[in-house]
Amino acid sequence: MQLWAIAANTYRENIRDRVLYSIVFFAVLVLCASLVMEEITIGDQDKVVRSVALGAIRAFGSVMSIFLGIGLVYKEIEKKTVYTIVSKPIARWVFIVGKYLGLMGVIVTMIALMAGLYILLMLTQQGPPALSVYASWWMLTVELGLLTAWAILFSSYSAPITAASFSIAVFVIGHLADDIWRFGLQAESEQIRQFAGILYWFLPNLSVFNVHDLAVHHLPIPVEQLIGATGYGLGYTIVVLTLAVWVFSGRDFK
Amino acid sequence: MSAAPSSPAEVVLRCEGLGKVYRSGFFRIPYVGLEDLSLDVRRGEIFGFIGPNGAGKTTTIKCLMGLQAATSGRAELLGKDHRDPESKRGVGFLPERPYFYEHLTAREFLHFYGSLFGLPKAVRAARIDELLARVQLERFADVPLRAYSKGMLQRAGVAQALINDPELLVLDEPMSGLDPMGRLLIRDLIFEERRRGRTVFFSSHILADVELICDRVAILVGGRLRGLGTVRELVGDRVKHVDIATRLPSAADAALPGEVIRRDGDAVILRVGPDDADRAIDTLRAAGASILSVTPAREHLESVLLDEVQRAAPINQKHLGVLA
Repeated sequence: MQLWAIAANTYRENIRDRVLYSIVFFAVLVLCASLVMEEITIGDQDKVVRSVALGAIRAFGSVMSIFLGIGLVYKEIEKKTVYTIVSKPIARWVFIVGKYLGLMGVIVTMIALMAGLYILLMLTQQGPPALSVYASWWMLTVELGLLTAWAILFSSYSAPITAASFSIAVFVIGHLADDIWRFGLQAESEQIRQFAGILYWFLPNLSVFNVHDLAVHHLPIPVEQLIGATGYGLGYTIVVLTLAVWVFSGRDFK
Repeated sequence: MSAAPSSPAEVVLRCEGLGKVYRSGFFRIPYVGLEDLSLDVRRGEIFGFIGPNGAGKTTTIKCLMGLQAATSGRAELLGKDHRDPESKRGVGFLPERPYFYEHLTAREFLHFYGSLFGLPKAVRAARIDELLARVQLERFADVPLRAYSKGMLQRAGVAQALINDPELLVLDEPMSGLDPMGRLLIRDLIFEERRRGRTVFFSSHILADVELICDRVAILVGGRLRGLGTVRELVGDRVKHVDIATRLPSAADAALPGEVIRRDGDAVILRVGPDDADRAIDTLRAAGASILSVTPAREHLESVLLDEVQRAAPINQKHLGVLA
């Protein structure tokens, strides 16, 4: 019940936040604008429209995940609302996990909203989306779950600007993980090879969730890839959330 | 200094050698926020916690409520180790200058805190109606907290502290920033809780309120307990001085037996030492003056606190704050 109460309160707080509506407004704007691409594109116009629209959902989902996640715990500490929560009979892990679940509720709602709009646009323009499009949204949700966990970890001990920098770094490095690995293999210096290896193994490999091209081309996504990426994402998320709980549990509130 | 021993059954809050050392800066320089605090708070009493700014009052409360980890000693709330979240189940807490979720209405806000205690929805709803009436916020129950004044927020904060019908109520500066009506409301609530057999532990700068409502008081200066007892035990029965209001015949003017502190025509207020009052009255009567009133002025907590601050000054300068 306590977990649900904190999650529900986090969900309500973010849903009532005007910043969220600004992000959603721009997302809807870009989704609608993707239709214009049809007019100015040479070649396979349908694929370009799908690519821009699905890319917009990914981009705005990631923006929401990072920018709502980084303030999630910090704001509670800064505004001292955490005082009246931690002093109740609840364990600190309940607070962190509850906040996480609440924010994931918001992110899933927003992805569903943008996906609904995408389906509507496709039905009027190109016909129903392929199954791989739905699978790509599932992969996006798992990826954002992991990204949000990182943002909450950073938010548990640093101010939003620092947390935002770290979260964006994780996002960028995570998407370049395969390139970093390849670069490491080709490097002549042993130190650079080791550094690339540490980055690759320590930071998440977000490219495993990237099935954008398959979805755009309406090609099937292998089930093994879906299951593997989901397991990887959920496992990694649990590890990062456990770290966030550990950091938050040791905090003094001054 | 330690509290007088109490039987374990009576004690609802116990600190034994509680201490907190902060470390700040790059070199982690230690700073003692609280040192070896031992005290017991007994069931059913109103316990006041006073001291200048920086004395360690809020540090103590934060350690007790799990907001900060004590670096030494131990504490119990309702017989349980204070670090166990379950020890808070029967405790209500209002922090100093409380901040709440502004996006919630008072009713939603209280439902949220009620659910943190696992109260069923029907129980919460009934309790919330009762509490909103007690803190006089029924009319604003469905208004978002961002529209509340400071006094209204404080009252909403008191309501959240009472949502679980706590056996022990811990209030950090509950009267701070309130107008006289707000202070009266909080005082009445504290009295009402005691009438219901509850225990109230609160810190305050407003010593007149502490004197008026507390059964026992602890004085904290520089992170150390400097006094503990009833107001009478701390202040004593000692009369500081006596003010005599008298009406003088003009001829008696030359032989006034005390310090004139006010004069209005032939009416004069004289201040004399406690041992000189009888002699002064006799002198005035002999001179033909009429005595209008005799008012003994007793010591107040304020002067006791000031004495303790001055006494502590040479021992630990770095702890001294400015009296509010």
